[in-house]
Amino acid sequence: MSVESPAEGRPRRLVGGWWTPAVGTSVLGLYGAFQLESSEGLVRHSFFNDVAPPGAVYLLLAALVGLLVYGFMRHASLWMIGQPHHQSMLRDVPQRMRNAMRLGLAQDKVRRDRYAGLMHWCIFSSIIVLTFVTAQVALNDDLQLNFLRGNYLLFFRFYGDLFGLIGLIGVGMALNRRYFQDYHRMRWDERLEDHLIIFGLGLILLTGFFTQTMRILVEWIPAHEDWARYAFVSYGFAKFVELFDFTEGQILSAHRFMWWGHVGLAFSWLGLIVFSRLDHMFFAPINAFFLRTDSPGRLARIENIEEREVFGVGQVQDFTWKQLFELDACVRCGRCTEVCPANIAGQPLSPMHLIMDLKAHLSAVGPSVQHAGHTGGDTRAVSPVAMVGDVIKDETLWACRTCFACVQECPVMIEHVPTIVDMRRFLVMDEARIPATAQQALENLETRGHPWRGTSLERTSWMEGLGEVPIFDGSQEYLYWVGCSGSLVERNLPVTRAVFRLLRESGSTFGVLGQEETCNGDPARRLGNEYLYQILAEQLVQTFKEKNVQRVITNCPHCFNTFKNEYPQFDGNFEVLHHTEFLSGALKDGSLQATHRVDASVTYHDSCYLGRANGVFDAPREILELVPGATLTEMRRSMSKGLCCGAGGGNMWQEEVGERRVNHVRTEEAVGTGAQQVISNCPFCIQMFEDGVPAIQPEEEGRIRPFDIAELLEQSVFGPGGGEAAQPVTSTAGAPD
Amino acid sequence: MHLVVCAKQIPDPETPPSAFKIDPAKNEVIPAPGIALVLSQFDGIAAEAALRIKEAAGDTKITVISMGAESAQQAIKQVLAMGADEGVLLQDPAFDKGDPHTTAKVLTAAIKKLGDVDAVFCGRQAADWDWGVAGILIAEGLGWPVSIIAKGVTLEDGKVRVQRVIEDGYETVDLPLPAVVTVSNEFGEPRYPKLQQIMQAARKTVTTWKAADLGLDPGEVGAAGARLKLERLYVPEKEGKAEIMQGDTPAEQAQQLVAKLQAAKIL
Ligand code: SF4
Ligand code: SF4
Repeated sequence: MSVESPAEGRPRRLVGGWWTPAVGTSVLGLYGAFQLESSEGLVRHSFFNDVAPPGAVYLLLAALVGLLVYGFMRHASLWMIGQPHHQSMLRDVPQRMRNAMRLGLAQDKVRRDRYAGLMHWCIFSSIIVLTFVTAQVALNDDLQLNFLRGNYLLFFRFYGDLFGLIGLIGVGMALNRRYFQDYHRMRWDERLEDHLIIFGLGLILLTGFFTQTMRILVEWIPAHEDWARYAFVSYGFAKFVELFDFTEGQILSAHRFMWWGHVGLAFSWLGLIVFSRLDHMFFAPINAFFLRTDSPGRLARIENIEEREVFGVGQVQDFTWKQLFELDACVRCGRCTEVCPANIAGQPLSPMHLIMDLKAHLSAVGPSVQHAGHTGGDTRAVSPVAMVGDVIKDETLWACRTCFACVQECPVMIEHVPTIVDMRRFLVMDEARIPATAQQALENLETRGHPWRGTSLERTSWMEGLGEVPIFDGSQEYLYWVGCSGSLVERNLPVTRAVFRLLRESGSTFGVLGQEETCNGDPARRLGNEYLYQILAEQLVQTFKEKNVQRVITNCPHCFNTFKNEYPQFDGNFEVLHHTEFLSGALKDGSLQATHRVDASVTYHDSCYLGRANGVFDAPREILELVPGATLTEMRRSMSKGLCCGAGGGNMWQEEVGERRVNHVRTEEAVGTGAQQVISNCPFCIQMFEDGVPAIQPEEEGRIRPFDIAELLEQSVFGPGGGEAAQPVTSTAGAPD
Repeated sequence: MHLVVCAKQIPDPETPPSAFKIDPAKNEVIPAPGIALVLSQFDGIAAEAALRIKEAAGDTKITVISMGAESAQQAIKQVLAMGADEGVLLQDPAFDKGDPHTTAKVLTAAIKKLGDVDAVFCGRQAADWDWGVAGILIAEGLGWPVSIIAKGVTLEDGKVRVQRVIEDGYETVDLPLPAVVTVSNEFGEPRYPKLQQIMQAARKTVTTWKAADLGLDPGEVGAAGARLKLERLYVPEKEGKAEIMQGDTPAEQAQQLVAKLQAAKIL
């Protein structure tokens, strides 16, 4: 098999690739500086041109620090109206430190958009290095340490200019994206501060250069022009200014003007941290430290649910402090919204706006809530608007697929999914406001133990004609968990049968629960009915324990995620494999042989809960690689950037509102690869494609056909006609009516 | 006001036919693990109708009564969670294997025992046997007016105004109180209970009344009192047959088809 267009980058080192050219250049500069014959007598003259009374800058600094502390306290007091967070920040500290370094300082996520990543790195590294430069000047001049002398001073000049230039390049890239490319995300929520920040930074850098230019002109060029060249940018400016024959007095006045301009702008700009999204320079690494250390696929368990008065998040103070902190960390970059399937399909959800709306709401009512809390008032009576319903609309919450695309992209590590689900919990459990079809799915779960209203199948229907199907009794190694979709939705029966036949062929011992399977509760949890979820989960954990289940194989990524990540919350610890993992392992250790050619061009769709939530990207691709004859063409959005099929987060059971349907968008992308088959690993994805294909390709001739990867492998293992996938698939019975 | 909702727990009507097994000797459905017991869907709608009246009128008590096995507590709790105030389970072996008449007799006795009832709401029919007569028989037992298959129920000047579904639309009738109304699916979906209410309902105790509590003689209820005799209970055989019309031209095939249909007295 051949793979075209690999989609993911390689793992990166701590301080990734873009430092390399800068550090390399600096080393060259350092080398150059120390090659100089003699820089004896080269010292930095403190207080050149007597621009300011000593101490003036420190007054400004003190004011700035005061402002920062005040701003921080004001924010912090609002976070404190939140509830305790589910994960203690004192646990997993080494991992949290690593996250802060990797995601906060090295900005791994920022770089997922290469242009913005480079731009941000330029600005970020420039600010860090120039702050370091400024600090050295302060130490040197004010404490009279006089270490800025000789060759080091030349090197110091060099890298100061280098990073000033890098900063200007970053600013240029930012200006280009905002004003010339007219890049779409820039306009989604543009504010005055955005212009101030970027122009301010540009001016700070320029005035810095100009200050130095004037100084070079008066102090360096006349004395030692070869030394001046190390400040290569300022030197260039100086040569240009020389063309104009200014007097020394004029140049010194200009120096003074530029110096004050530089200092004034720099302090004002830093003051903006308190009032603008510049605060991300602190909040982003802190939020990286706060980032969950468990799987993103796990939703928090509501403890002692029977004793609570409010079950979900209906008011801003119901969020945890970390969720409130996140609101402040958002930089309005729009990356989340750009990748959000609901947004792409023109549905009423933009995760960025959701976060910004919550943030505005927090600022609006937070202080009064806090006040009510202090004075013993009723905090729940404070807000004049309903956060869930007015500020955040019901349909916005229901449109979410819990697909983690937003979480994956957010450069400041905001976790939108738990925040959205918490508000859904309020809608369902506190308010009982649910879209009718979703309600039917929940009621069905309650009464029938599965979400598929109106199915005419039984949990054992798929077994027909397969010979003896072993029932799990504790003696087998694996429990093969078929799941509701695998047994009650017509389209998925061939998948279940394929997995079953492959398991049997592999020689491993396994059994199924058959009639005894009940829903593990995932749809209830994602739809916000945590209470129902807990009942179902507790029951099933009990059943698993009674039957002595140790290892589970599932053919549904949602069951997989639930067992693997969520059942430990109910003391259910099992080893869980998705069938793609098991099958790729079996192919590799030779217990399965993909011997028959399956000549087909395929594209592969990563389901959100196998992919982003659990990081299983390679196992299915390994299977495809081992199927002789199959050629894979990746879609533009694949692996961790994959687009949801549209069914996640309980949307399988909802009517979609908006311009398009998500599955149509995704089907279009699959069709766009020109592949004959779109291969997935999830019963929901398959159903969504089955539904989307006729809409995108009305002509039956040459349609792309959706298959589970097990169906493809079945053909390769058992030969042509040996797989059921060879037969045309007719219906998708069981879909919401 | 005091409203009564009659609720029945039935085997899930959405059970796939293949899971549905019948014991021909006993003329009984064999309970199978795949068959859930659920609140008859129309009774949920009847409860919704009563709740909307309660919301509009205020100061109203809703009592839900159900005749059935111990498991019918579940159906009662479901209506309690929706917002009903009290629940009564009518449970006695003597009630078993009755017919609509004996069921209505038991329910009527219970409503009489409750005393101050202003209106009774039933589903248009129980979704298991689909008789659709219990409501009418209760009205007869109580001597109250009845309107059936309602798509809308409101309270207007001390009367119940019912929009009654008829073949080509609906008609509006006013019933003086007390009255019995049977509610149809056109009324709308029953509400989804809030969790707080589910928990409150779970804590409520359901009163149980036996035949003796209702002053009923075991000989007049259940199998003993039934006037209806079940002859045979069976799952109908479904048969599908396909026949391809022979003929050289479409016209010939069509003629053949017409002939066949006429022979089968379809045309
Ligand atoms: S989880 Fe997916 S659907 Fe939900 S807001 Fe994020 S990107 Fe959008
Ligand atoms: S939530 Fe994250 S990705 Fe979305 S706009 Fe805010 S910072 Fe950007």
